[in-house]
Amino acid sequence: MRFLAHRLLLFVAALFGVSVLVFVALRILPGDVAAVMAGTAATPDRIAALRTQFGLDRPLITQYLDWVGGLLHGDLGTSALTGRAVVAQVGQRASLTFPLIILSLFIALLIGLPLGCASVLANGRRMRGFLHVLAIVGGAVPALWSGLLLILLFSRGTGLIGIFPSQGFPSEGWHNPGRALSSLVLPAVATGIVAGAGIMRYTRAAVGDVMDGGAIDMAMACGMTRTQAVLRVGLRLATPQLVSVAGLTFAQMITGVMVVESLFALPGLGALLIGDVGNRDLIAVQSELFLLAAFFLLLGLVIDLIHRALDPRLKAADATGTDAGDGTTGSAASKGGE
Amino acid sequence: MESEGIGRVFAALRALWRRGSGRYALIVLGLWIAVAIVSLFWTPQPLLATDGYHVWAQPSAAHPLGTDGTGADVLSWLMAGSRTNLVIAVLTVICSGALGLLLVGLMVSRSAGLASTTVAVVDALISIPTVLIALLLTVPFGASVGVIVGACSIAYGLNLARIARPSAMLAARSDYVESALAGGASGWYAFTRHVVPNIMPVLTVQLTISAGTSVLAEAGLTYLGVGVGAGVPSWGHSLSTSVKLINVFPLTVVWPGLVVTLAVVALNLLGDAFNSAMDEGSL
Amino acid sequence: MSVEIRGLNVTIGGHAGSARGGSGRDGSGRDGSGNAVVRDVDLTVGDGERVGLIGSSGSGKSMIAKSMLGLLPRGARATGSIDLGGTEVIGASDRTLADLRGRYVGVVFQNPGTSLNPVSTVAKQIELPLRLHYDLTASERRDRVMAMLDKVGLTADMAGKYPHELSGGQQQRVGIATALITSPKLIVADEPTTALDSIIQRQIVDLLVSLVDDAGASMLFITHDFSVLARATTRCYVIDDGRVAEEGATADLLASPGTPVARELVGSARRLTLSAVGSPAVSSTVSSDRGGAR
Repeated sequence: MRFLAHRLLLFVAALFGVSVLVFVALRILPGDVAAVMAGTAATPDRIAALRTQFGLDRPLITQYLDWVGGLLHGDLGTSALTGRAVVAQVGQRASLTFPLIILSLFIALLIGLPLGCASVLANGRRMRGFLHVLAIVGGAVPALWSGLLLILLFSRGTGLIGIFPSQGFPSEGWHNPGRALSSLVLPAVATGIVAGAGIMRYTRAAVGDVMDGGAIDMAMACGMTRTQAVLRVGLRLATPQLVSVAGLTFAQMITGVMVVESLFALPGLGALLIGDVGNRDLIAVQSELFLLAAFFLLLGLVIDLIHRALDPRLKAADATGTDAGDGTTGSAASKGGE
Repeated sequence: MESEGIGRVFAALRALWRRGSGRYALIVLGLWIAVAIVSLFWTPQPLLATDGYHVWAQPSAAHPLGTDGTGADVLSWLMAGSRTNLVIAVLTVICSGALGLLLVGLMVSRSAGLASTTVAVVDALISIPTVLIALLLTVPFGASVGVIVGACSIAYGLNLARIARPSAMLAARSDYVESALAGGASGWYAFTRHVVPNIMPVLTVQLTISAGTSVLAEAGLTYLGVGVGAGVPSWGHSLSTSVKLINVFPLTVVWPGLVVTLAVVALNLLGDAFNSAMDEGSL
Repeated sequence: MSVEIRGLNVTIGGHAGSARGGSGRDGSGRDGSGNAVVRDVDLTVGDGERVGLIGSSGSGKSMIAKSMLGLLPRGARATGSIDLGGTEVIGASDRTLADLRGRYVGVVFQNPGTSLNPVSTVAKQIELPLRLHYDLTASERRDRVMAMLDKVGLTADMAGKYPHELSGGQQQRVGIATALITSPKLIVADEPTTALDSIIQRQIVDLLVSLVDDAGASMLFITHDFSVLARATTRCYVIDDGRVAEEGATADLLASPGTPVARELVGSARRLTLSAVGSPAVSSTVSSDRGGAR
């Protein structure tokens, strides 16, 4: 309970910190925000109009409080370009991006977990070496390139074996689930392969650590084969670490996801954000960036809580108020899969 | 003194060279640096020369990897790009290393409040993706090499601090440090003489891998328009340009991606070689 | 169950860094390379006999036990012959060995703190061999676990606890219960008391001996400490540098060690006891250890 309260407090503090950072970076550092938004060719009248429209002539502190007050009520402001509510735009785009990220993560786990276990179990030097190199090469491929290669191989029109569409998202969206899903396959594989190589490495490291611990020998002494012991005990003991890794992979996959969204012409969050940054629609960018950052902070919070729940030793540490296992949380995790 | 330092560098290079992974890494990195230097003086075609008659040229003697659709020579831009990526990788290593060390220093500091605040801040911010930091920086500062270095350094520095923390804590709480501090040594002395050497192995390996990740980040961010500015040669720039070629000469798409992949593989293998050389005690 | 080991050799192959892959070419596939840790060991354990393996750390005694169980670390290779109650272990398949382990052979490990599964409750840990080898209902398993808990001197409320909630001695009782739940015919105890303090050591050894004798099982007991060995075994082998240096009845060896290694081990057991008794500050904690190395 102590840990939960502590972690929640931290989350709220981090949200506040991020909101200040975003505000400083987008409202204060660029100088005259209205002039930036209006562009170089704008007339002074246009700039003045923007300034009053978005209240940019008020004191900064008022602007900040106004913005945060809006956020608390779910009002993220309106886009200067389209005049639509930012929250509606974000919601619509997220219905593409989140399935894409989740599908990518699913593919990454599907590739990474079995291959990671295989590299722990592999007996021959040659096999281990091969799996090791495979993980490194897989993780070294830029998402843009894996996307391009997939288009060359599997896209309708350009590819050698034209199976999947490579451009766009059906205009009717998820009302046509089959088409919607098939248009996400290649992008998800493009990012999933790269992230999968990362998961494979962490699985090998985490399960390998457990192998040295003695619990595997114990499980084998009770009558498991080596393979059974690794899959049933090793993987379970590595799970808390792997959850942390999967969470960070999820967060780091976002660069790759934005890249493939653009490459495959998918109207997702990445495209929205990049477009708004390019158009200098600072009001929209501000809320979008904050929302995404808040989402990832929340993700970090959830992962930490799951990590705790999965390890009875950490739960016990909470009960006594000590902070034993900290620092092991996600220690195997690293930023990867850009 | 100086010759001793050089001797140690050579001994380290020899230890890395003895491993297959280290040998591959050193060859690729050597090539990378060599090409970067050569490109300062010579490229097959001048960067700004555009071949108006062969805007979409097939690979040929004049354009070994073809032209990119505006008539610019793909090979020349790749060569020049190796310079930019080298700069980004080196700066990222320096800045993220410095930030990581600073955070580790705060985490093991004698002031419990400062230490726990730093741990909390790192834990909270670790899940913010690099690309969001880059987007945040790019609005006030504009797309540039600096934005990539800044975003990568913040993200990797946080990560480094989190990874190095357990061994740093162990070192900082050791009897050796306790007695040194009791004997009047300053906290700074204990940190540089005892904590830093203890986290050096994990730091070296992690920074090597970070250098590789910065190459990948550059490719992604540049394609998204928040990386190096327009007209600046970089591997990410070449890779982004190659996207346009996919329907014209599909095979030209292969080269920039291959260069990036080989370089990142080399840096990862170098990290591996460091790791096993240090395990063995030969570094 | 009887054990018959003939001409056992164990080598730990090539180089330590092999797990990372990509290391140098030299010395890889050459046969006979690597470090011999067990050399030409012959050893027998009769039915119902309790036999000791004693040697300093690094003498190779644990490797002998691990090769009997098929638990050698990766990169280690055993040659020779190990016969466990009629089954040849060397070269046997992983499946065959797994069928032996936990069913006919129980193992007690040195450090229960790290070997017990940290996410399993005590009851789940103890019933694991039953689950793996026998087709019992949940309530049948539960009954056996409860009976076993009682036998090793743990209360019923321990069943739902996790290993980290127990003391070192309690953890090792769980380890013993796990090893004995299927009534195996052979117990291999690899330094089962080394991680414990001396009073607990004695209790654990006595518990193990009485349970093994009650079940009519054989035991191979590995230790570096003659004072423990004397309580646990009737006959023993002294291992030095991977070889059998000396063998005989434990009592005889204690009385007149024949080789320098044995003299050294007996001497250190005595010294430990004497110096401890001589120092009043700690005498209370070791007083119970008096009889150990008489």
